[in-house]
Order: sequence, then C-alpha cells, then structure tokens
Amino acid sequence: MSPKRPPRLFVNFFKWYCKPSLQETILGDMEEQFDEDLEQYGASKAKRRFGWTVLRFFRKDIIRSLFNGQKLNYLGMFKHNLLITYRGFKRHKSTFLINLIGLSTGLACVLFIYLWVTDEIRKDKFHEDNSHIYQVYSNHHDASGTFTWKGVPGLLADEIKAKVSEVKHVVAATDAHEYTLSTDNDAYKVNGKFANEYFFDVFSFPITHGDAKNALVDPSSIVITESLAERLFSTSDAVGKTLEFHFWQFKKTLTVTAVIEDLTTATSDQFDFIMSWTYYHEVLVSYKQWGNYYARVIVELNDPSNKKQAEQKIDAIFKENLEGTRTDLFLTNYSDQYLFNKYENGEQTGGRIEYVKLFSAVALFILIIACINFINLSTAKASQKTKEIGVKKSLGASRNSLVAQYFTETTCLSLLGLFVAYALVYLLLPQFNYLSEKELSLNIDGNMIFSSLVIILIVGIIAGSYPSFYLSGMNILKSLKPSLSIASRHSWGRRALVIVQFSISIVLIVATILIQQQMRYVQTKNLGYDRDNIVYFEREGKLLENHDAFISELQDLSGVEKTAASGFMVGGGNSTGGVSWEGKTEEEQVQFWETKAGYGLIDLLGIELVEGRAFDPSFGTDSTSIIFNETAIAAMGMEDPIGKTIHHYSGDKKIIGVVKDFNLISLHTKVEPALFLFNPEQTHFIMVKIESGKELETIEKMESLYDEFNTNYPFNPRFVDQDYQALYSSEERVASLSGYFAGLAIMISCLGLFGLASFTTERRTKEIGIRKVMGSGVWNIVLLLTKDFTKMVGIAIVIGIPLSYYLGAKWLENYAYSIALEWWLFIGAGIIALLIAWITVGTQTIKAATVNPVESLKDE
Amino acid sequence: MGRTNFLGEFEELILTLVLILGDEAYGNTIVRAIKEHQNREVNLSSAHITLYRLEEKGFLESYLGGATKARGGRKKRYFKITNAGKALLQEMKDSRTNLWKLTPQLNFSS
Repeated sequence: MSPKRPPRLFVNFFKWYCKPSLQETILGDMEEQFDEDLEQYGASKAKRRFGWTVLRFFRKDIIRSLFNGQKLNYLGMFKHNLLITYRGFKRHKSTFLINLIGLSTGLACVLFIYLWVTDEIRKDKFHEDNSHIYQVYSNHHDASGTFTWKGVPGLLADEIKAKVSEVKHVVAATDAHEYTLSTDNDAYKVNGKFANEYFFDVFSFPITHGDAKNALVDPSSIVITESLAERLFSTSDAVGKTLEFHFWQFKKTLTVTAVIEDLTTATSDQFDFIMSWTYYHEVLVSYKQWGNYYARVIVELNDPSNKKQAEQKIDAIFKENLEGTRTDLFLTNYSDQYLFNKYENGEQTGGRIEYVKLFSAVALFILIIACINFINLSTAKASQKTKEIGVKKSLGASRNSLVAQYFTETTCLSLLGLFVAYALVYLLLPQFNYLSEKELSLNIDGNMIFSSLVIILIVGIIAGSYPSFYLSGMNILKSLKPSLSIASRHSWGRRALVIVQFSISIVLIVATILIQQQMRYVQTKNLGYDRDNIVYFEREGKLLENHDAFISELQDLSGVEKTAASGFMVGGGNSTGGVSWEGKTEEEQVQFWETKAGYGLIDLLGIELVEGRAFDPSFGTDSTSIIFNETAIAAMGMEDPIGKTIHHYSGDKKIIGVVKDFNLISLHTKVEPALFLFNPEQTHFIMVKIESGKELETIEKMESLYDEFNTNYPFNPRFVDQDYQALYSSEERVASLSGYFAGLAIMISCLGLFGLASFTTERRTKEIGIRKVMGSGVWNIVLLLTKDFTKMVGIAIVIGIPLSYYLGAKWLENYAYSIALEWWLFIGAGIIALLIAWITVGTQTIKAATVNPVESLKDE
Repeated sequence: MGRTNFLGEFEELILTLVLILGDEAYGNTIVRAIKEHQNREVNLSSAHITLYRLEEKGFLESYLGGATKARGGRKKRYFKITNAGKALLQEMKDSRTNLWKLTPQLNFSS
C-alpha cells in the first residue's frame, strides 16, 4: 500500500456499510479531500482525518439495509421453505420417521435422566439454613483400618451446646425405626425417630398444627405427620390427642403437640413421627457413656467458615471425655451426606454421586448418539439434492436463500423432535417413576426450555450446515452432471460418526451385562448364613415376658422348621468396641458387630460352627457365653480360643464356640469381626424358619397364634431375604434403569445405521442392477454392501472393548466381592453389536439385492 | 410554514452555497466554501447528509458527472437548486428582512 492512498481498512469498512448507490460519489469526495489534506497536513493527519470521516459517515441515511438492499418478500420465502420442508417430509416418510424417532427418543432419555439427576442433587437441600447444617461423623480406627459412620455418643449434644460458641443449635436425634403406636381403637407399626427440641429450628419441615418451638420439650410429646394423624385420629388437627407408644418392654402415653406436613421425596430422612429426645435418652438408652455411639448429632453453625474450629472443638470435647480413644469426630455438610455417603478408611470415596455421574455420562452418550444420527441422516439425504440445487441455482436462486431453505428444514425437524420428546416424557413419566422409585414431575422451567432449545438449535444448525454451505456453494454444472463422486468423497465424516456411535453402544452393552451379572452374583452369593424362608417379627407386649412359651408353641406349628429369639439384623445392628481380651494392646481396638441371641439362632441361620458348640440348653446356663466368628478371633490374635475368657462391656464372658465367617454388612466390604452374645431377654425379635413351599399358610397360622397371645399388637413379619435385597435396592434400580437406557441407546444407533444403509443402497441401485445383469449373485451383492458397515463396526469394537474393560474394572472395584471380568463378556458384546448391525443393514441390502435389474436400470 | 418547509441554519447555509457555487456544487466544494466564507470546519459527512436530506425534501436535485483522476476516477455527485429551493430561500430572506424592519433602528456607522 502506497503511503499516498487512503487507509485500506477504512475504505473497505466504508464499502461494506455504505449503500451501493451512494458509494462511488462519497468515496470520490473523500479521496479528493484526502489528497488535499495530504498536501496541507502530511500523511498521518490526512489518514486520521480520513478515518474519522468514514466513521462519521456511519449513520442511518448512509448505511445499506441488511439484505443487499433488495427488498425480498422474506415472509413469503419463509412460507415457501416451510412448504418445501413439509413436502420433503411427506416424500421421504421413512427417513423422516427414523430421524424423528431417533432424535425424540434420545432427547426423551436425556430429559428423563436430567429429571432424575436434578432430583438426586436437590435432595435435602430445601432446608433454609442448608449451608449451615452439619452432621457429626465418627472415624473409628482399629487394626483393620478406619470405619466411618454417623453414630456419636448422645452425651455430646449438651456438651457442644455449652462449650462450642460457633454452634447456633445442636440437634440430637436417632435414625428412623419402626415402632408400635396404639390408640384406643387400634395399633399400628409406624416409622419414627427421636429428636430434641431444636430439631425444628434447624430443619424446615412445615408445621400445619400446633407450635414447633416447644413441640419436643416434654418427654411425653410427639409430633406426627398429617397422613399419620388422618390414620390414627381421622383428622389432620390432632394436637392434644393422646396415643400410646410401645417398644420392647417400654410403654408410654404421649400427647400430640404438633402436626407437620407429609414429608416429600426431597428429604432423605423419612419418618412419620418424632418423639422427644429426653424420653429416649432418659428411659430407652441404658448404656449412656462416651464410648457408646447411639446418637446422631447435627449442628447448625453461625458461620460455615468456622467449620474447622467447630470441628476441632467438638473433637476435643469428645477426647476429653473418653480418654485414650482411637476415634475422631468430624463434620460433614448435612445435605452432602446423601450423595457422598461412602467412606473408605476414613476417606470420602463417593457414593450415590457415582450413579449421578454414571447417568449423566449415559445422558451425554445418548445425546451424542442421537445428534450424530440426526446429522448423519440429514447430510446423507441432502447429498441427494444436488440436482435440486443445480436447478434452483440456474433459475437464479441466491446462495443465501438455499442456505435458509436447508436451515429451515433441519431446524423444523429438530424442533419437532424436541416437542415429541417432551410429549414422550410427559406420557411415560409415571412408568419412569415406578422404575426409579421416585416422584418426579415435569416442571418445565425457563432454564430447561432454554437449554433444550439451545441444544436443539445447535444440532439443527450442525445438521443443516453441510447441505447449506457445502452444497449450495457447489458449481451448477457439477451439481447437474450425474456423478457419484460427491457422496464418496464426503462419507468419511459419516463413517467416523457411525464408529463413534457403535463404540458407545458396545460400552453400554458391556456395562449392562456387567451390572446385571454383578447383581445376580450379589443375589445368589453365599453369605455364610441362610436367608431363604426366614421371617422375623418384633417381641412386644406379652412376648416380652413369656417368649419361651410362645416360641415353643410356634415350634409346634406345622410348616415351622426352627424358631429362636434373635437380635440378628441384616446389614449389621449394633457395633461395639467394648471388648477386651488378654494381651490386648492400645492399638488393637477392634469394632465388633454384636448380635444378641437365644438358643438355636445360629443353627436357624445356618451359620456353620468351626470349633466348640452353639448356645445349648443342655449345657446348663449359657448366660456368660460368647461366640465369635473367625475374623474376630484372627483380629484378636487368639490361638485356641475355646474356653478362654474375655471382657465384654456387660461382664466377663467365656468363648464357647467359633463360627465360620459370614457377611453381615454388604458385599461392598470384607467380612468384619462379629460376635454372638447369649441374651434372649434382650433380643428384639423372634425368628422363624419356614419349610420351603409352605410360607403363606404357615405365616397365616403364625398370625392367628400371635393374635391369641398378643391381641393388641399388629403382627408384621419380615423376610430376611427381602431385607438383604433392600441393602442393594439402589444398585438394583440403577441396574434396571441402565439396562433400559442402554437398550434405547442401541436402538437409536441402529435407527441411524438403518437409515444410512438404506441411503447407500438407494444410491447404488443402478450399480447393483448392472452387477446382476453381469451375473453377480444375490449373496455377492449383499456381501458387497455389508462389507463397508462390517468394517465400521469392527473398528468400533476395537475402540469399544478396551474402553469398556477399563470402565468395568473401575466399577467392580466398588465391591469387595465381585465377578471376574471374563473375556467372553467383551467378545459377546462385540458379537452382539456386529449381529445387530448385520440385521439392521441386512434387511436393506437383501431387499436391494433381490430387486429385478429391469426395475433398477429403468430410468424414470 | 409546513414542517417540510422549515430549514435549519446549516441546511439554509448549504442551500445558499449550492446556489452560489452553481455548476460546481458538490461535497468537497461546499465544505471548502464553508471554510472560506464562514471560517468554519465542517466534516464531509455532515455536508453530504444535509445535501441528501435537502434532496429528499425537494429543494435540491443531483446528477452524476465529472470523473477526474484526482479522485481515483470516481464520479462526482453535483447538486443543483430546484425552483422550490430558490423560492424557499427567497421566502426566508423576505421574512427575515421583515423581521429586521421591526427592530429599533440602530446606527452602526457612528
């Protein structure tokens, strides 16, 4: 650029914005002035003045109108484009349907997962002071590692209140448990908990009747939910009514002090009533010491940034009161507990958040697959339109109007897909809720609409960009000349997309099979105890005093194989560190799962004896007897344990037997130390093993016997195997859900493959006709057409298998006991993917290969 | 006077200059004339925009011509005053003279 010319940038800018009719003369004037300025002021000032003038010209009367200055009938063009789109859909019905079904089912899946994930994430966060609420947890260190749970000594609550200034409120509470409540008319089994009077200061459960402030102060007070009030008293305003509480040998008359709204699924803490902590602490807890972790303590901090100080102070209080303890206390945000509920060796290692992540990943996969499909099919279809474009262009259509046409087409289809997806979600939500055991609702909010619109528009634009920019820019001659080169040159992109799709599908197939297998393994794994045909029910009322008589009558019923008084609980019941033995050192703190037992329990549960004997009336009294499992003996480092005496917190006990290891807690963890204590009076349940095949009739007989004995108490037997299944219910649900989603993802991929296959075979009809005329057989042609797809799926298998192996191995690490990753699983998944692809493509190719060549070679 | 017959000060100036410059009236000459006669720097764009506005109002008309080397071979847009423009100028001058007549007579010479 010579220094004597006006700056090019400004000239171009001016040319860009100025009306064509004015451009020449104004530019001329400006240049003339520039030359004058050049002489008068020199180059730099002249340039500056030129630039300034250009900027000054940037105003309403000078700027060109947006569209080339020509006034086209935009609305008319838009209507025309819509009409063309509509006709296109009508003419290519199958492509249209495949595209629509693929996209809308994919989006519906994603919407479902979105609803599920947001519901999980919002759990427990509705409490007003959410960010200030913390749960106190305890880390128990022993020889085998660190065990984390939310049990803490109940004495802690008052101490925190008195000594920790960072804390605003302290709630002492228990977990919810089933208790019997009775009115004058009837008795009910109801889920409830105990909490102190600050419960409603910390948690925002809306009160409908009564006063929350002092609702839990009086030891005889009870707060119930509206639906429980309806059930007990047939009115929701139950304040002031009385009812009776029964638990084991305890009985108490209570007055309703407040009624709260029924709990929603937004809280993970589900209960129907709350009773006063004072009553629980003063009456029900018999062993009130700093080494007994019977309470749950929740604190509300004044300022969450003081969490560290509060944590240290609370831990210090605990250590002051329990000298030499090897347990630490720490705080965790209350609402985080739901998603981050797994601890390993004292470290937070995920929990439900993993399912949230898993499902989010699945949603992303499905979204990608569905979008790939849509883009793939749209571009494939568009490349058939080269003739149309050629004709339109030769008639004078501008490139912009062609671009507009294709964008109209793809955005219309994607918007339609979104609409159908919302309709599907609306219709199928009840089924989804049933499967996921949730109460989700489709609350369409601005956020959701906005993000789904953005996604769908992006998809529409990507799908529309290939035909609109590439094809519309094509040379007219090229587009009108019949040639095959266009499709083959650009199909690598589509191939890559198919490969990605099938890799994802393979990962999903492997994941589904793996999850199902692990679940089956969990269901059938020998735990070291029997769980089939065993029922248990609570000892209440008269069963407390004369359970022996009841047990012996039960035993006489036909269909009853064995009975015993039992404290056995699936998933563990009480854990104690209060056991010491000869040679126990400071470091050897061992936490034992403690089960109180009556005669015959060990036999009933089918737990095998390794050494010694079980509790047996023929050996005189067993009141000082104790039985350990092998892990416990090993943890205590005992040789020859039979006959040795250990110290249990309830007194000296003699080891009379050792049982084989049994897995009480869950398959996520290794077998932990456990002990059986002979103490039938203190057991909470009566356990019955029923002859298999006679469950129903026997339970009926048991019920009538129970009613005779215990008229005022509801008979509510539970099956041990159901309890066991409940331990894995969240995994079960995830397993079934992921199965559905994987199936859908695979279906969507197949739709895409189907569409692509029909497209390629359609393009090659003439070729096939000629080949047949030349003497090629049907199978040769099928093979020819399938080869390409087989290659793609083959590559997808090569990518998918290592990926799925890696992911599968990671998931199984969650279990202490798991299936092995077998090679056939992966080969199987590959074969399934290949078969699915062949079947999908085969239907198309066989059809194409069997067509009479006369038909295919005949021109329109 | 109707709305379209109203002229601003700058518009009147430009209109008058177009009349004065006769066959040589286009953007640059007008800007130059303003500087010469009024000692006032005016941006080219202001002159142009006013010219177009006056053309739209029907007081000016334009024609193309006179491409010279100096301006990159580009044509000039010459402006010529229309009869309506002349009449308007006359009318404005008369009304101002009438107004002046109403002012108290001042003697500037002494």
